[in-house]
Amino acid sequence: MRTKFSGILTLLLALVVQLTFAQQKTITGTVTDDTGLPLPGANVIIKGTSTGTQSDFDGNYTISANVGQTLTFSYVGFDTKEVKVGAQNSINVTLAPGASLEEVVVTGYSTRNQTVQTSAVVSISAAELSQMAPTTSIDNMLQGKAAGVQVTAANGKPGQGAFVRIRGTGSLTAGGSSPLYIVDGAPIREVDLATIPNEDIENISILKDAATTAQYGSRGANGVVIITTKSGVRNKSANIRYSTRYGVVSRIDDNFQLMNAEQKMQFEAEMYALGVSTAATLPGVTTLPGSPERQFLLDNQTDWEKLILKDGILQNNSISFSGGAEKIDYYFSVSNDRNTGIIDKIDGFERLGSRLNVNLDAKEWLKLGVNVGYSRSTSDEPRDRFNDQNPFFAVYSAAPYDTEFVLDEFGNPVLDENGDPIYDTSGASDYPIREALEDEPQLDIRNTTLASINTQVLFNKNWSYEFQTAVNWLSRRVEYYVKPGSYLAGVAAGIEGGLKRDFQDHRLDMTVSNRLNYNLSSDNHSLNVLGLYEYNMNEFNRILAESTQFPSPLLSTQTNGAVKREARSNRDRLTLVSYGLFANYDFKERYFVSGSVRRDGSSSFGADVQWGNFYSGSVAWNVANEDFFSVDFINDLKFRGSYGSVGNRSGLARYAAQGTVIFDSYPGGSSTIPDQVANPELSWETTTTTNVGVEFNAFNNRLRFVSDYFIRKTTDLLFPVQKAYETGAGQIATNLGDIENKGLEISLQGDLIRTPEFTWTLGGNVLLLDHKILELPNGDPIDAPNTFNIRWEEGRKINEHFLIRYAGVDPETGRGQFYGGDGNIYFADELPEDIENRVFQGKSTIADLEGGFFTNITYKGFGLRTDFVFKSGNWINNTVKARSTFDGADIGFNQTVDAFNYWQAPGDTDVAPSPKFAAVDRDIYYNSDRWLEKGDYIRLRNVTLSYSFPKKYLEKTPITSLRIYAQGQNLLTFTKFWGDPEVGLSSGETISFADAVAPGETTLYSYPNTKSYQMGIDVSF
Amino acid sequence: MKKIILKISVLALIIIGTTSCDSKLDQIPFDAFGNENAYVSAADFENAIRGAYAGFTAGSMYGGSDQGGMIDAGDVLADNVTIAQEGRGTRTTLHNWRYVAADGPLSNTYQQTYVIVNRANLILENIDDFEGDSKENIIAEAKAIRALAHFNSVIFFGKIPTQSGDANGSLGIAYVTEANANALPARETVGVVYDKIVADLTDAVTGINDVNPAGRLNKEGVATLLSRVYLYMGKYDLAVNAANMVTTKPASRDNVVGVWKDANQDGLLFYIPNEVGTLGVGVGVAYSQGSLTNLTPEYVVDYDFYTEFSDDDIRKEAYTAFGKKGSNNYNAIVKWFGRGSSFDGLVDMKILRAAEAYLNKAEAYYRLGNETSARNALDEVRSRRYTSFAGGETGQALLDAIMLERRLEFAFEGHRFLDLKRWDFPVERDGFGDLADGSGVPSDAQTLSSGSNKFQLPIDQSILDVNPNIQQNPGY
Repeated sequence: MRTKFSGILTLLLALVVQLTFAQQKTITGTVTDDTGLPLPGANVIIKGTSTGTQSDFDGNYTISANVGQTLTFSYVGFDTKEVKVGAQNSINVTLAPGASLEEVVVTGYSTRNQTVQTSAVVSISAAELSQMAPTTSIDNMLQGKAAGVQVTAANGKPGQGAFVRIRGTGSLTAGGSSPLYIVDGAPIREVDLATIPNEDIENISILKDAATTAQYGSRGANGVVIITTKSGVRNKSANIRYSTRYGVVSRIDDNFQLMNAEQKMQFEAEMYALGVSTAATLPGVTTLPGSPERQFLLDNQTDWEKLILKDGILQNNSISFSGGAEKIDYYFSVSNDRNTGIIDKIDGFERLGSRLNVNLDAKEWLKLGVNVGYSRSTSDEPRDRFNDQNPFFAVYSAAPYDTEFVLDEFGNPVLDENGDPIYDTSGASDYPIREALEDEPQLDIRNTTLASINTQVLFNKNWSYEFQTAVNWLSRRVEYYVKPGSYLAGVAAGIEGGLKRDFQDHRLDMTVSNRLNYNLSSDNHSLNVLGLYEYNMNEFNRILAESTQFPSPLLSTQTNGAVKREARSNRDRLTLVSYGLFANYDFKERYFVSGSVRRDGSSSFGADVQWGNFYSGSVAWNVANEDFFSVDFINDLKFRGSYGSVGNRSGLARYAAQGTVIFDSYPGGSSTIPDQVANPELSWETTTTTNVGVEFNAFNNRLRFVSDYFIRKTTDLLFPVQKAYETGAGQIATNLGDIENKGLEISLQGDLIRTPEFTWTLGGNVLLLDHKILELPNGDPIDAPNTFNIRWEEGRKINEHFLIRYAGVDPETGRGQFYGGDGNIYFADELPEDIENRVFQGKSTIADLEGGFFTNITYKGFGLRTDFVFKSGNWINNTVKARSTFDGADIGFNQTVDAFNYWQAPGDTDVAPSPKFAAVDRDIYYNSDRWLEKGDYIRLRNVTLSYSFPKKYLEKTPITSLRIYAQGQNLLTFTKFWGDPEVGLSSGETISFADAVAPGETTLYSYPNTKSYQMGIDVSF
Repeated sequence: MKKIILKISVLALIIIGTTSCDSKLDQIPFDAFGNENAYVSAADFENAIRGAYAGFTAGSMYGGSDQGGMIDAGDVLADNVTIAQEGRGTRTTLHNWRYVAADGPLSNTYQQTYVIVNRANLILENIDDFEGDSKENIIAEAKAIRALAHFNSVIFFGKIPTQSGDANGSLGIAYVTEANANALPARETVGVVYDKIVADLTDAVTGINDVNPAGRLNKEGVATLLSRVYLYMGKYDLAVNAANMVTTKPASRDNVVGVWKDANQDGLLFYIPNEVGTLGVGVGVAYSQGSLTNLTPEYVVDYDFYTEFSDDDIRKEAYTAFGKKGSNNYNAIVKWFGRGSSFDGLVDMKILRAAEAYLNKAEAYYRLGNETSARNALDEVRSRRYTSFAGGETGQALLDAIMLERRLEFAFEGHRFLDLKRWDFPVERDGFGDLADGSGVPSDAQTLSSGSNKFQLPIDQSILDVNPNIQQNPGY
């Protein structure tokens, strides 16, 4: 290895000594519009190179350039301006409206101007981020913002992230379809995104096609989301920015109505009369209407929703200082976020974040940079189970005549020997949930340090070398305490004296990166070549301890537990070594060519097949820059094409290729448990993407249009193949199967009105997606793991529901009917047993139409921005609806008033089946499509009304800018779905975020999405 | 020039100082072991055999499960229990015989059978090169484990030889004797499977130690199992011979309650100690959760069966208790309830008991026409359960007494359904409700007629999906 390097060094030396040195300097300045207002997010690019930056919130920028180079300043909706670098150190620029669309794109290893981009990339600037509906996890904000990006909120729990899919579901393993997230060069897991404060983000770039994702060869198969944090401005004293926001969060109102106590008891009596024997012991049967017992129940009925839930508080405060001297710039911030959530008695999510980014010119030829962010988040975790330990299960299921406490004959709570009310634990939903929220706390604390340390050596104007170490260090503690004396301690096996379980996780992801950069530019030609050598190591450590028998509920550390039940530690490690060579070339910004080659080795694969080669090539042609092209109203007309391959290894156990045994305990000593069967041939999953696109800007860029068509084919799918159960070998990770995602992305944006005082912009984007399973192991269908009724079959869509078709109620008998596999109609117990009755209907959990649209109106200082998101074509098996309108099955649980609409007399149509048959038919219903519903919706994600004070009012104050706003989130939803249509996790403890293969398959009472109203102030000094 | 050399030096230092070779890609697990290291020394084989036994602690075997396992499925399917309305509604398809291939019950038991078999086979395949003193005992244990695991599935998924004339030729299960992840074994006939079980147990009973540590089989345990297998096969003389190898007596009357509270191990031939820290499995969850004063019962003692326990029968106290939840009273099943006064369900897993050898022998002698020996064997049990009993039955009355005693002795240990099945009897529930006085809600389904295909459980579709050589049972 060392000889290889000395060879590279000799070559380098030979190149470098022949090249002379150019004079480089740091230039700072401000970009403003024609009225003098700063333009945040304006692009500043050194012409003919890929080096560039963006102006900050106050329009300030800093860039290093050589004398004689030309700086290009651009901003959406304004004319581009070019200034040649001369003697000056400061260049202030005023842009005139009606100009070209030029967005800068950060592709991780380099920064490029959108006009020289040959790839499908979407970039979101800090200025845009500040206009979006604030959330605690940044992935939720991406919904509807970029064509081709599908976002499904996992659930509404504060701090919870989302399932993000870029251009479809690219893998069939859990977690294998998530994009790669990179923060300042360090990979971060999707579930850890909530550790990044939004205020610190300068830019989010979403890389979609192979031309750019191939640079991440190994892990970019499902797209790459690159998050860049902010930096300060050179030669400027500190800009102080303070922002504060406050609001209330509450449940989105249901589009159905639960029964009250009177209705519930009437329903029970009706059911009993129809022969539902399980109703026999319920109050609707055991008490008579009008009796004192019945009246007592009615007088003391409970509104469980009001009791269990609350209106929560959203709060954000952040302050930042940024600025710089001639050779240094800095950005410092502190922020605090709080979202209490909507469950009473627990505190929800809180995050403290702090960051310092410093860039320093140590020598004329040596630059150093340090970006360090620390955040601490705490979250009170409610149970997310499919039973009455889950607060939301209780909201919908607890009978309204049941009470929180045991009542005496006067309706007053009965007290125990300590004078505390005794919780009522009778009834079908008998778990004292409010007691559990206090006595079974679960706390999740995450301390995250994201650090990136950077050195750049400039040899001359052509050659530079960059070295970076990027570290993402997560220290996480999860504590679960069943307090002694709590209800659960009293009923669950073996924990009478309480139970405490502590996890301590340390997760380290470290990337060491060496990059050698070559730039050559002349008036006509521009060439950039980058060589990469990178090492990535990810290590996970966990310590778990569990004790029982605690002396007091006030003491919860393990040292206080009298009986130590469990103590263990785990460790695993994953490594990756990468080589890459990337090149971009353009001629007069008319013809563009780029290519990449990357070679990756991963420790997770078989020793002889660890290495994968990935490559890409792309071309583009901007017709508008041709001399012969003379259509005046067209500013840009660019055609792009790219093709390339990218690898994937996620969703795989870390040592999946190796045969292993593990050890457990058994009376007498250790016990050997055969664990994995070796597969030395296990290697990379590969996604090949073909992309063609067109970009079109017209009428002084008032109309902006981008469209891409892509075909993504994933081959050698990483797949845990279940061996015959009779072998006892379990599953073996293999590379088998192919899937395909095809789609069309369109984004269109136009300024309907654009005057200095009044603008009105309309825009939107949409993805039309088509997906298919091409090949599976042995061609056999597979019941998707960690799903309920999803089956994969060749030629079908990914994640199709596989269910018996419900044929409605037989109007004569009132009994529900089903289609057999032979197409005939049967009752549940007559379904043919020798054929498969479940069928595919082309109904997948994946939306085939998704996107967002917005309108933005500004008048003088006023702004009104409205964002909608929409999704269509996905199907959700609505189990919550099933259990709430269930023909008298599970009668002890509360129902909705719709349950009254059942068959009563021959000829009844449009009704639910007669409850007479519920006991026998209920299990078939769960395997049927009776409650399979379209998940289509349009939701008003964000509406913001803001006012920015004009400079003239602020001139006599120290304030440089002041903005106040009011914002609403999720205020309107249009859907035919029963309940909330944003379904991600069904029940987080049934199928966890990390295990979810088919998000949105079904509803099982997970934390619902919320709506909020907030007001805020942003002020800068 | 000087600057450039300086810069190159910086570059060289950084690259050389922070990068190294591709050997970083050679990662081995920290928490696991390569297979090649796992079966070498005497200690390795001790660990490995314990690993095979550990498979029996799964809920689907003897660990107690709300999806059905060896200690409950044979009762839930039969007439010993009634489903409690205040329970969580577990195993309702099993209890009411509503199972279909799409949700084949006990599929976990089927899968766990082969998990255990694979562990035993790995030992048997790797032990050739090992020449330690313990070799013969380890081989015997591995074979006994393999036989017991297969037996636990074939009794549910196949017919039992005495059940009907065609049983031996009907579908059994795959009897797997090699550790091969890529194999696609087919179902063999019931006759072949039982012969292979017998072959493994016969080898085991000669090779195994008279005494092995707690949690492991020994000679008398294997002999008891062998007597049961022969009884199921209708080979009564061999059943008697096997049972005669057992000299341990059934637990004395004074010890019976204590056996189920783990206060003593009288009469236990194979049990798995269940200590927190080592195992800590909540076995009792199969029948109920909570204390007797705030009980969440899944299944309660069938009222009619409850009345079969005479007050003089020590098992009434050992197996049942009065429990309540709110205003509802239950005849609770407390065989696996907890040690001492606790109700955590954390008790040793009792798998083979001496009483069975005597009841097997009693039935086998009766079938051979030797009523005196049959009665003597039966009384070995009865004398240790009642302070006084009439006894002296002959003919059908003796057979009825043997059958009743078997039902009482093994209540809530998962035997009942299999006994009815091998006798070719129907399951006939009595229509009583779930409450202590027989009122309340009865189980939905009351009768499973003999000869019904539901006596053989369907093999879950997911099992058929991955192995085309596995054939479904008739009627599913």
